[in-house]
Amino acid sequence: MSGPRQCEVDMTKNNERPICHRAEDLVAYLYNEASETDAQDFADHAEQCDACRSELAVFRQVHESILVWRNEALGTFSPVSEAADLARATSSVKLVEHERKLSALQALREFFSVSPLWLRGATAFAALLLCTLALVIISRSSGLPAQVSNNDEKVYTKTQFEAAVNQAVSEKLKESRVTPPASNVADNDVEAKPSKQQNMSRPELARNYSPQRSQRLRGFTRAEREQLAADLLLIPSRDEADLPLVFSEEPNQ
Amino acid sequence: METATSDEQMVERALTGDPEAFGEIVRRWERRIFALAFGMLGREEDARDATQETFLAAFRNLRGFRGEAKVSSWLHRIAVNQCITRQRRAKVRNETGLEDEAEKNAAVFALPSEISPARAAEGKQRSVAVRIAVGALPPDLRQVVVMKEFEELTFQEISEALQLPLSTVKSRLYTALRQLQMRLEKFGEPAR
Repeated sequence: MSGPRQCEVDMTKNNERPICHRAEDLVAYLYNEASETDAQDFADHAEQCDACRSELAVFRQVHESILVWRNEALGTFSPVSEAADLARATSSVKLVEHERKLSALQALREFFSVSPLWLRGATAFAALLLCTLALVIISRSSGLPAQVSNNDEKVYTKTQFEAAVNQAVSEKLKESRVTPPASNVADNDVEAKPSKQQNMSRPELARNYSPQRSQRLRGFTRAEREQLAADLLLIPSRDEADLPLVFSEEPNQ
Repeated sequence: METATSDEQMVERALTGDPEAFGEIVRRWERRIFALAFGMLGREEDARDATQETFLAAFRNLRGFRGEAKVSSWLHRIAVNQCITRQRRAKVRNETGLEDEAEKNAAVFALPSEISPARAAEGKQRSVAVRIAVGALPPDLRQVVVMKEFEELTFQEISEALQLPLSTVKSRLYTALRQLQMRLEKFGEPAR
């Protein structure tokens, strides 16, 4: 710029204050951002322009007032608050990292939202099939012990129980025929029975394990034992009327 | 400028997962962003909140920073938007329907209830009068004044931050200064 520019437009009245249309030059000059040449140009202009000279003075006062307010206000901004701010900002790092972890699920949702209908249906069907299969497996695994116990019960039905008892008693009878009817042997027989008597029905077990009955058996003769065994096994060939069920005295004792 | 270059490097480091890098950016700019927020909002608590929101928003949108502008300009733009958003919210809360735009802005600008404009006009609390006057400015003018006066940014930096032509920044600042001068005269300030 060779020389001072004149006002491009004549002074006008606005809010009882004239306006010069070199406003941009004025603020650049006010804040020392004009180049050296432009600053000199505006300074020369302001000497001749009352509006610019007046505004420049008023704007400087406004600028100083704002600076006073700024210094007062920002003087309260302590480093402690800065640290707190920083801590909050670093905590936001964790927050965003958490959001990133969740982004996989969001991506999955987006995938299903944009996938065609047949793919959604196939996925739903596969999920249903998988759930059904899992339920079947769970029910089977939980029902397996029950089946095992059922098998055990089949082995010990009423007739099978009786057959087993017959077999066990006949074995005992054979043993008793070979061995003398000593009380110790009788004790052993009675005490050895429970392992095989586990297969018996509950009433029979209760009878056999009755301490009174075991005392009564103590000292039975062979014939009495046979009668008693027949009684226990309900052998139809024997007459119950002929069997002495109650003994008033102990034979061998 | 060393800081500007380092800011870009810090952003790159933050993008690679270094949390300390963004912390350094916060340390460098929080004071100036706070100043901007305080100038825009006029209340320290609001300015602190806006500062925090600014850095949180910056961190969340870190990948959106493409390096086309300076980090400082980017942060300032975010801060201005945060402040404008807060002012809009406050305006909705405080809207009475009887005040004119300037008065509503002044009300939003944290006018202390115990200090009336008349009392401020007495000259005893000059800064209060200035604060009220700045708060009464329209947001587009206020942000230019604050960025210039509080942060002492150059016109070019304000232009980049607000993505405005340089001439627009200057004309807005001129208009803002005129309005401030008239309001302060009304309060008995600075045309002394």
